Amino acid sequence: MQPTEVVRSLSAQWPCRDLQARQLASLLHPQLPSPPTLVVHGVSATCKSTIVRGVLSTLEAPHAIVRSSECITGRHLLTKILWNTLEAFDQQAEWERFGKGRCEHVSTLVVLLEECLAARPAEKQGKFVLVLDEIDRQREASPTLLSALARLGEIIPSLCVVLILSSTPRPLFLQNAAVPHISFPPYTRKESIDILLASPMPIIEGMPEESTSRIYPHFVATIYDTLIGPTAGSILSFRSICDRLWPRFISPILQGETPPGGNTEWDFTRLLVKNRPLFRHQGESALVHRIVPDNSNADHGPRKPFAPRVAPSALPSLPYFSTLILTSAYVASHTPQRLDTIFFSKFSSSSLSARNKRAHHRRRLKVLSQAQAAEERQQAANGDAASKKGKRSKTRITKSTLSSAFATSSATTSAIGGAAGITGPSTILTARPFPLERLLAIYHAIDPNPPANPIRTGAVADQIYAELATLRRLRLVVPASGHHGGLGSGGTGNTSADAGEKWCVNVSGDWIGELAKGIGVEVGEWLAGGLD
Amino acid sequence: MDPDGLEDAMDLSKDRSQNQGVYIYQPAKSGKAAGERPSKRRKVSSTNMKKDLSESPAFMPLLNGDETPECVQLRFDTYKQLWSDQENKIQNILEDVDAGVLTDVLSFVRETSPQTSDGCIPTGLVTVGSNVSSLSRLLSRLNDQLKSTNEGGVVVLESGDAPNLKTSLKNIIRAAVTNTEGNDGYQRFLTDRSGPRVLGYDLDLLYDYVQRRGTKKLVLALRDSEAFDPALLTDLFSLFKSWLDRIPFTVILGISTSVELFEGRLPRSCVSLLQGQHFEVQEAGNCVDRIYEALQTRADGQIWIGRNITSTLFEKASDYFQTPEAFSRIVKYAFMSHFFANPLSVLLGNPDPSVLPQGRFCEAIRNLPSFQMFCEDLLEAGSANESRNMIQDDKYLLRAAFDHVEAGQQAMRHIFSAVLLIHTCLQHTQATKKTTISDLSVRALAGELGESPLVEDMLATVRTMDSGKLTEVLNTLPNLADDSPLTVIQADLQALLETYADSLPLSSEYNINSSVVKTTVVQQRVLLTKGKANLPTQDIEYTKVVDRLVAALQEYFTETLIRPQDLFMHEAFLFDLRNPLKETFTPRPRFAIERALTSPFDYLISTVETGARISAKQPAGAILYQLYLESGALINVHDLWQAFYGVYESDQGKKVDEREVMALFYGALSDLKMFGMVKNSRKKTDHLAKAAWMGL
Repeated sequence: MQPTEVVRSLSAQWPCRDLQARQLASLLHPQLPSPPTLVVHGVSATCKSTIVRGVLSTLEAPHAIVRSSECITGRHLLTKILWNTLEAFDQQAEWERFGKGRCEHVSTLVVLLEECLAARPAEKQGKFVLVLDEIDRQREASPTLLSALARLGEIIPSLCVVLILSSTPRPLFLQNAAVPHISFPPYTRKESIDILLASPMPIIEGMPEESTSRIYPHFVATIYDTLIGPTAGSILSFRSICDRLWPRFISPILQGETPPGGNTEWDFTRLLVKNRPLFRHQGESALVHRIVPDNSNADHGPRKPFAPRVAPSALPSLPYFSTLILTSAYVASHTPQRLDTIFFSKFSSSSLSARNKRAHHRRRLKVLSQAQAAEERQQAANGDAASKKGKRSKTRITKSTLSSAFATSSATTSAIGGAAGITGPSTILTARPFPLERLLAIYHAIDPNPPANPIRTGAVADQIYAELATLRRLRLVVPASGHHGGLGSGGTGNTSADAGEKWCVNVSGDWIGELAKGIGVEVGEWLAGGLD
Repeated sequence: MDPDGLEDAMDLSKDRSQNQGVYIYQPAKSGKAAGERPSKRRKVSSTNMKKDLSESPAFMPLLNGDETPECVQLRFDTYKQLWSDQENKIQNILEDVDAGVLTDVLSFVRETSPQTSDGCIPTGLVTVGSNVSSLSRLLSRLNDQLKSTNEGGVVVLESGDAPNLKTSLKNIIRAAVTNTEGNDGYQRFLTDRSGPRVLGYDLDLLYDYVQRRGTKKLVLALRDSEAFDPALLTDLFSLFKSWLDRIPFTVILGISTSVELFEGRLPRSCVSLLQGQHFEVQEAGNCVDRIYEALQTRADGQIWIGRNITSTLFEKASDYFQTPEAFSRIVKYAFMSHFFANPLSVLLGNPDPSVLPQGRFCEAIRNLPSFQMFCEDLLEAGSANESRNMIQDDKYLLRAAFDHVEAGQQAMRHIFSAVLLIHTCLQHTQATKKTTISDLSVRALAGELGESPLVEDMLATVRTMDSGKLTEVLNTLPNLADDSPLTVIQADLQALLETYADSLPLSSEYNINSSVVKTTVVQQRVLLTKGKANLPTQDIEYTKVVDRLVAALQEYFTETLIRPQDLFMHEAFLFDLRNPLKETFTPRPRFAIERALTSPFDYLISTVETGARISAKQPAGAILYQLYLESGALINVHDLWQAFYGVYESDQGKKVDEREVMALFYGALSDLKMFGMVKNSRKKTDHLAKAAWMGL
């Protein structure tokens, strides 16, 4: 079979990949000599693996495909390579001859593969293609694994190794010159739209077919321009968004509304004008995948496109005591330690001057943090390596005593749930770690139902520890030992790890604010810019 | 200081082998040479031990050891029988509570497949809230269901089982295979397969297993999803996704916080692998209420828990993370301690009076507060003879005690049937906030329910009801007795309704529509006067019935809702001691340590009682701790040492051996360090930083 024929048979099913299919077909053709190693690369959802598989099966070239993402360790990968090769030759029964099915190192693999290829039956002699899919995502791979695998083809003449990468390879990453690369670029606008229009159009009841065929191409193009193009979406997400939004887009027709401007028929432009809010409100949420798809919107979506995107999230029901502890942890994380006496001291808490002082400090903190946030944004925009200098950079108000309180911040996690973290007043500051004793003290300060006789009631510290352990399991409060940022600041998933001295709250502020209101604590009273 | 005292102090510091700085190493056993293998521990089944335990009496004889063994045994047996009864009930309630979610989850598992969920892994998100244990019950029942129909099974993974990808995969595969094949089956499964030995974490194994068994649904449940490392979850799910065409995975995630929060913590790439549904498990509070109701209001109840315990129990249930199982454990403990420590509890087992040890037992009864109250009441009522009999005649007393236990139990049952009645009524009269049985019970157990505003409001609402609603209420009320006035009233009402069938509904004069407001203008002021409208005869008759009903209810409440503490012998069937429960279920280690260090003689026996707060007689650690309490956040070590030395010096003058005191000081300081109370300060080299404050 000639490469052109291969391409023809493939392009019906997988359009717009003709060039790559042709290259592959000529390089892997059983009758033609192949390069020992071949690199196929391209971002995800560009049809790499599918085309490689398709070409190989159409050519009927003997091959084995190993999905690297299914191999847990490097050793696992090597064993799998050997096993799949044996399988390709129907030699599984003779596994004991080839290292007893065990293969722990690449050098062993070379020997075993060589034996294996030599031992295959005469009618299957010839070129053998080994495809390693997603090899750049291999877990626990040794640093030399890739280049070693690339040499396999050089050592074993009848072997051709195809490496499929989803990242763009660096120059000479295989330590080997002149390895042919085949690039799978992302689909262009035209290609994407063509692919989508090639599949059958959605059929909706009550929609005349000819108007579908008239409006749908425009609709698809609009979706691409508004949602997919700017977000570098894949064909898959493109298709699912089109499927989801199409019924809503044409709902004016379905519901028999009369088109504006005295026309008798809806055309694309009128629908678009009518549906502008749809793109504004629903479009973005359509891009985000959720575990539980919100069906409620789909049911009566067209009725009220102005409804807020997502219903306010249901609050978890933590018990009273745990909520209070979580709140104090949050407050402890977000108040500079120096201001503790001002914010939490009970001696002057009710006097007017104390309240004024607190309000003053809240405003100060707010101004300061806004300046800080602005500066960070600026740095991010400038694109210099702001992160290398550490989160903390100098603000203009350094002379103030307050800023030195910030200087100690090591900026662990900030609001995880919130998007950028600079949305509401309560998430302005990054969460700082605090010692447990401080949490206990703040707990006593913000307790909305303080014991009537604090001298006689016993200490609550012991109960707090028990609840804190539960909160830790839920990763609402995590120990902040060591330095690390990002998501899992609890280190490993192990909950029995020894606790560091300092702890840190691990949820966003709005959420805790809501929870705390439920038990009668106003978080804003203790926070920077909280009540303003 | 006398040398003895110092030696005592040294002695006290001797027994801390755990954190000694210097010691002589003594190998535990000198028999073995270094290279020899340690002897293997023999695996002996411990059945013999267990037998011994069960045969020896679990309870101790009380009454200073004078209790007869029969009584001890009887107490134990009664406890066993009562509790096993209750436990069954609790189990049934728990199963019943989960039933709804179970069917939902089961049908979700059965109906979904990768095809129905856009090629993602089908995922059930189960939010359990603070009801943490419910998920494991749910999962085990789900597993039973799936196994019984040979559809597959459930693999439960906890965060502790999943430190990294390899181990979690190993655990998953192992659990999946042992679930149906058993442990030996797993080993056979590993050895029997053809081909080379596969690594334990290779999902090929699971694929083999799935093919062999024909598994259609393999459910992987993460019980505490939040505690998993998000990176690990991503790895795991992407692996499952790539195997999804061969192994029919379904994932169930138990979430204690909220779906949004959990989703927000996972990377987007991980979220995009999952799609499914959201289930909600009932709150623990609801469950606990039902358990409590079943415990207290059963018609054949024999023992009740009192007000103090009830309020403690519910405080715990609402304020802390607590499972219904933990709730029932506390109740069990309460039962247990009642039968363990109260010799009167033997009366609940209906013993033969001859078994009872007369002397001591009767003495115990006579010492009861309720007995004393009872006798005083008898005297006041003028039956001095009877009270004399009670005090002097053991047999008479025993008989009376038996009778009163019986009568008291009956009274308790009546109290709780009244509680149930009020609760049912409240369901109709209260519009917004529903009062739970537990609230009512607490009040009833305190003897306050009868006069509480809650009941008065309820009766007022009953008065204003029209006939339709009233019949509805009356029909739902539990049957009290055949000849109770309620039944008569109900019959009368029925008759009335039948006579005036064409002018329904009837409304009483208390109804707001039956009163009219008159407006009169007197001296340019508007006066509003309320007056009764002229009621038709049927309404007047209806009002009479309502009046009778309310009066009957009131009478019934005053009759039944008595203070349980006024009952003679209530100590036998009402357990209301807060203390063993509180101590056991909320231990306070930190408080105990602080107390031991500030006032060591609360725990140690002291020969000399000194007035001073700090004295050299105290252990060195305690002295140092009290000095530590006096200082600020930063402590100069030299100052501390001076003060410490000063304590000994003031006690003994100049004769103190400074080196010995120094040794004590070092020892005590290292103790404090071990407790985590001090640490080295980074600000000043010769200072210590305080790390713990007392009384938090």
